[in-house]
Parts: sequence; structure tokens; C-alpha cells
Amino acid sequence: MEKRRILSAIFGIAQGIIGVLSGVLAVLLFLNILELQTVFNAPPELLPLYLLILGLFSIFSVISGFFLIREWRV
Amino acid sequence: MANKRKLGLFSAVIMGLGGAIGFEIFVLLNYAYFDLAGPSMISALLFCGIINLVTMLSYSELSAALPEVGGEYTYTKVAFGGIISFMAGCLRWLASVFVGALAAVVFVDQLGVLFSVFAPSIQDLVLANVSVLIIGLVVILIVLAIRGAKEATTLIVAAFLAIFIIFLFTSIGYTLTPQNIVPEVSPNSLIVFFATTAYIFPMFVGMRALVAGAPQIKNPGKNVPRALMITTILLTVVYFGVAYVAVGVVPFDMLRTAGDPPLLNLAASIIMGPVGAILFALAGIIASVSSVGTAMSVQSSILGGMSRDGYLPNVLQKIHKRFGTRYVAIIASSLFVIFFGTSGAVEFLVYAASFGSLLVFALVNLSLIQLRRKMPRLDRPFKAPLYPLTPLAGIVMSVLLLTFPVILRDVNAESALFSSLGMVAIVLVTYYLRMVKREIDFNRLRVAVGGICFGAGITLIVLTPIIAPLSLFSIMILVGLVSIIAGMLNIVASARKID
Repeated sequence: MEKRRILSAIFGIAQGIIGVLSGVLAVLLFLNILELQTVFNAPPELLPLYLLILGLFSIFSVISGFFLIREWRV
Repeated sequence: MANKRKLGLFSAVIMGLGGAIGFEIFVLLNYAYFDLAGPSMISALLFCGIINLVTMLSYSELSAALPEVGGEYTYTKVAFGGIISFMAGCLRWLASVFVGALAAVVFVDQLGVLFSVFAPSIQDLVLANVSVLIIGLVVILIVLAIRGAKEATTLIVAAFLAIFIIFLFTSIGYTLTPQNIVPEVSPNSLIVFFATTAYIFPMFVGMRALVAGAPQIKNPGKNVPRALMITTILLTVVYFGVAYVAVGVVPFDMLRTAGDPPLLNLAASIIMGPVGAILFALAGIIASVSSVGTAMSVQSSILGGMSRDGYLPNVLQKIHKRFGTRYVAIIASSLFVIFFGTSGAVEFLVYAASFGSLLVFALVNLSLIQLRRKMPRLDRPFKAPLYPLTPLAGIVMSVLLLTFPVILRDVNAESALFSSLGMVAIVLVTYYLRMVKREIDFNRLRVAVGGICFGAGITLIVLTPIIAPLSLFSIMILVGLVSIIAGMLNIVASARKID
């Protein structure tokens, strides 16, 4: 049981960080900060789609990470 | 409560005008004229007035029947309770964040216009430091809001009306011949027309401040509906007049470069010379500062109310020991205003502000229908005429208006729509997590989220060799693996607790 709690903590924190970074990437990409649209070769007409996919991935990753961290802390 | 009801019909109208007349006219007319509908945006303004009037009939009935603090949040809470009122509160907050951010952008824009009249070198400095100025403005307003500074609404409304009247009178000497103010009857131009209506809609939305102020108004059953109607008609007439003159003097096909003043400032400088340019820039600055302040105070009040009802963490109710204001809620809301304001994505903010407001309008109309069915004996000093056509028309028009900018394939509108829908999804999940206490439902939710992450991880690993560049290959595989393992851990931990 203790091993699973440690596993939950590690993957919960990792997924939470991935979720937050995905959200930040979505915003940076959309606002073209650091010229990310050129770096990723993202066509402007597909930006809303990228925003949606990254946003949803970010939300679910943060929630899933939160559940795992909660299991570790409880 | 009775001794607090001090304001009469005139004050109520001023309250409505004070909420509505603001910075929006500077940015929205400009965008609607040069980037969307051209001169036919004047007709879109009239159409906007009609839509607003329809929904204000619903607001009138609800505010007369339920003249308590809270406005839309209270109506949806009484009509539906639970999640719908939570959703209305969140949408109202969201709209307020975007309006605040947009006002901050307009503040810098108008500051640039003001300096362009007598110090063009400073204008360049202003335009080069937009983010710094926005953060500076919001920080100052945070301090003022925490200290409980009051706004001079009546003074600002009076100043605005005076400036608009001077503008209209001085334009009498001009031959105004705006062309094509009625849109062509073709699918494309009609889509643009309706999309324009959606974009300029926030110009009217602020008048619901009157509903929020209903508890201070004498005889609200009569005065609030009357004031709402008078305000809507006055606003439509003033906006129509100002837009008609502006369109009449500024040619649609004029060459524009970055840093050029917006439509209204341009029209003022043509008609009234440098005095007009300075007067309108000052009006724009005062209006935008006032709007950022109002938006921050509305946001903190909504967050505080929702926290009081148990929807959000208690920390948002914390009151400042010295000034008696909700300082945590004020600071939390301001961070969002800074974040979106410094993005500078004006079109995005315009649609996003409309999105929240239009959905709240739809929810208010739905609440009216629900309350007529649920509480038929509720005392209603004012009844919306032509029921159920009026609220149904309000719902249909609100939802339709949201879709037109997307049909137009406006990238900013699509992005704002997706972001707003994402935020609505967060709202729903937050509600579920906060309010659903039964362990079995929590476990089902956890299995569902785990399943989504598991599926997303597998999809990512399958697609990575096809779509990912070599430099991102290992990162994407790692992200996919973390998603799969985290998803499995969530599923395994909760699946056996369901049965």
C-alpha cells in the first residue's frame, strides 16, 4: 500500500506539472510569445484547435494529478 | 431594508446609464466599423438595442419580483438553485474579467491618443510599454479597491453625456452622408451583420448595474422596470447618434496605420479639432479606469458571494482588518485582469466578454420561464409582455449571436469560444468536486478522469511518431507514459469502490 502511495505522489505531481505546463504552452502559443507559432510551425487557422486540445489536456491532467496527490495526502 | 431605499426613478436611470456608458464605445465601434460591418454597424447598434430591450423585459419582471441583492445570481438561484446559479455567477465573473482586461487595454490606447495630440514621442513610449502601464494601473486600482474607494458614477455619466451632446451639436455644420448603413440582403453580409451585433453587445450590457442596485431604489416594482426601459431607449438613441456622426465624417476606406486613433477619437478631432481629440481621449481614459475599477469590485463581490454559499474556498471571504474590504478576492480577480490585459488580444477579449454576458442573458430568460412555472403565485409588480415569446426570443437571440462570429471563421472568436467553453468545463468539474459529497460519485468521476488520461496518453504515444518533430519525440513519449500510468492509478484506486 505504501508503495502505491509513493507511486501516486510521484505521478500525481508529474501529471500536475505537465497539466500546468500544457496550459501555459497553450497561452504562449496563442499569443505567439517567444515566436512559438514559428517555432512549432503552427498555421493561424489551426490555433483555436491547438488551444482546445492543449486546454482540455491541461484541465484533465491537473484534475487527475490532483486526485493522485489527494490519495497520497489522505 | 426599507430605510435603505432612497433612490428615485431619475437616480435609477443614472445608475443604468452609469453602468452602460463607458470605454466600450471607443474600442467596439472602431472594430465594428473598420474590421467588420463598415457603415452598416449603425443598423447593428439598433438591432443590439432591440435585443437588449427584449431581455430587459425579463430583467424587469425578475427584479421587481425579487428585488434582493445579487441580480442574475439570485434569479437563477431561486429558479433553479445549485449548478445553474453557480454557472451564472461564474459566467458573470468571467465576463467581468474580460471586460476589465479590455478596459485596461483601452486605457493605454487612449493614453497614447492623448499624447499623440501634443507629444508624439511620448505616444511611442506609451505604445512600447503597454504591459507595464496595464500592470501599474491595476496595482494602483487594487490598492484603491482594498482601501474601499468610492466611484463618482453620476459625475462620469454627466461628463460623458455632455461630451456626446457637444459632439452631436458641433456636427450640425457638417453634411453627413453615411452610405450603406443598412446591410445587404445576402448570406455573407447578414452573417457579418449579426457577428457585428455580437461584438458590440457589451456596449449595452453594463446597464444591468441598475438591477444589482434594485435594493436601493424606492418602489422597485414600478421604478426598476421603468428605469430599465428608459435607459435602453436613451442608450440606443445616444449610441445611434454618435455612431451616425462618426461614420458620416470618417470615410470607411481611409488608409489606416498602427497607432492611428480609434474611430470616435478620429471623428472628434475632425469635427472639434485638437480640443475634441483631447476631450475624447480624456473621456476614454476616465471611462476605462472607472471600468477596470468597477470590474474588479464586481469580481470580488461575486467571488465573495459564491464563497459564502460554499462554492469556492473560504479564503475569498477574508476581510481586510483596517479597510473592511475583501482583499483576497480583489487581488485574485486582479491577477486575471493583468494576465488577459497584457495579452493585448483585443478581438479575443471582445468576443470573450460577449460570450459570458450573452450566456447570462440566456440564463436570465430561462429563469423567468422556470419561475412562472415553479412559483405562479409569486407577487410580480411587473410582468413581461407577450410571455413566453419575450423570454424565448431573448434565449434564441443570445445563443444565435454567439454563433455568428464563429460562422464567420474569426480565429479570435473561435479561440475565445473554446477557451470560454474550457472554463465552463472547469466550472462544472469544480462544482461537482465541491458540492457532490457522495463517495460513490467521486469514485465514478475519478475513474472517468483516469480513463480520459489513459486514452489521451495512448493517443499521444501512437501519434508521436507520425506528427512530432524529432526534438520533441522523447518529451511527448514521456508525457504520454505519465498520462497512461496516472490514468491507470486513478482507475485502479477507484474502480473497486464503485460496486
